[in-house]
Amino acid sequence: MSLKGKRILIAKPGLDGHDVGAKVIALALRDAGADVIYTGLRKSSEYIAKVAVDEDVDVVGLSMLSGSHMELVNETMRCLEAYDAGDIKVFVGGTIPEKDREALLKAGVCGVYTSEMPLEEVLSAIERQLS
Amino acid sequence: MTRLDPIARRALGRTLSRLATASVAESVSQDPGPAPMPFETARIGFTGAPGAGKSTLISRLAKRRLAVCRERGGVAVIGIDPTSPLSGGSILGDRIRMDNVANESDLYIRSLSSRASHDGLTDNIADLLNAVESYGFREILLETVGVGQAEHAVRHAVDTLVMVLQPNAGDAIQAMKSGILELADIYVINKADLTGAARTAAEVRGIVQHHRGEGKWLPPVIKVARDRPEDITALDNAVSDHLDWSSRWRDSAEILRLRRRYHVQSLIARRVLEVLSDRPELLEEVSVRDSYLRTVQALTKDRHLLSETRENPPDGKK
Ligand SMILES: Nc1nc2c(ncn2[C@@H]2O[C@H](COP(=O)(O)OP(=O)(O)OP(=O)(O)O)[C@@H](O)[C@H]2O)c(=O)[nH]1
Ligand SMILES: [Mg+2]
Repeated sequence: MSLKGKRILIAKPGLDGHDVGAKVIALALRDAGADVIYTGLRKSSEYIAKVAVDEDVDVVGLSMLSGSHMELVNETMRCLEAYDAGDIKVFVGGTIPEKDREALLKAGVCGVYTSEMPLEEVLSAIERQLS
Repeated sequence: MTRLDPIARRALGRTLSRLATASVAESVSQDPGPAPMPFETARIGFTGAPGAGKSTLISRLAKRRLAVCRERGGVAVIGIDPTSPLSGGSILGDRIRMDNVANESDLYIRSLSSRASHDGLTDNIADLLNAVESYGFREILLETVGVGQAEHAVRHAVDTLVMVLQPNAGDAIQAMKSGILELADIYVINKADLTGAARTAAEVRGIVQHHRGEGKWLPPVIKVARDRPEDITALDNAVSDHLDWSSRWRDSAEILRLRRRYHVQSLIARRVLEVLSDRPELLEEVSVRDSYLRTVQALTKDRHLLSETRENPPDGKK
């Protein structure tokens, strides 16, 4: 399996100022063959959706450490819909408490990948989602 | 429906993905759409070594160009970054330098990887530029992959070519002397807030400002420093001047001919790559001469790949 030909946006919504995790995952996705775009820190949901659409990505990864992940996920989904882009998938990563996993999946994200998960596991989960 | 409403953005985004990944057969079989008219949409290219500051410069300039173009179709930026030959993946990093304009509603930014191209551009760049033009943008700013000395292809893809250099690029300039350095229309000595910019500018002037005369374009050499907006004004004016000069002195039929030539040439080059990787036996157990002849023969079979309709358009023109 490989992510060749897939376009992936790694986005940082919310207010936290740490993107080491986001950059690690971006590089790993590149090494798995994907074209990866990174938004930079502290972007609005509206901006993330616009970039996802302009760049026509297959999936958006929201990297979040701030705790308001439920809200940010819902907002991002809503903005994607407004661009007629509800079919662009969304996964979340970062520090997500286990108790929120169910609710996030219900909200429509295709995967929840916490910082504790081994990188290979995250990559193969993303590959499965996109194949 | 305005050009850049959400639905149109979505459609353009998808069209560009389809074109960027089209095989040679797909690219030549598609409906070419209306022929682009030179000077309707200005194509402005930015090239230069990796890290010379191309993306940062484009984002500063884009803001100015938007001020003029907003009522007339907006501005599109296409940024190309290298595809890793090992994984086939890429980090498309040009956009992240463009934060200061990324929220502008009449700006469209699209990042692309270089794919199989080694000329600083990407596969099917001609189709991609035509598609962006067909959405009515007034200007397209095209950033090449960070390049060395030999990637000339962008010359034929754009109307105005800006070469971005850094201070103290002395050796690099020597190396480029008879290469791409003579091809640009405007030279920027970027990061002029660092030392050495004045000397580098003088060196470049010495090389590029030779041919003066009526109807000749004398390439300006412009120093651009980080905190000097007036430097961007100078670049903005130089770009406008060059576009005016082009529409006055350059022959649009000749421009289309050069574009066509590069387009066909790059299709054939890529088709050779396709054929050689699909059919490794062409290279096996024979002389170079026979491999060459076999490959040429394999290419001529391509006639069957293309639909009859494209060969004989209904209006009878060839
Ligand atoms: N001192 C100084 N640094 C600059 C200036 N412009 C850009 N830089 C820095 O140069 C580095 C590269 O800038 P980019 O704009 O990404 O350069 P690029 O040519 O687009 O790079 P590639 O696309 O990777 O080839 C960054 O660290 C910028 O902060 C400038 O005017 N002055
Ligand atoms: Mg760049």
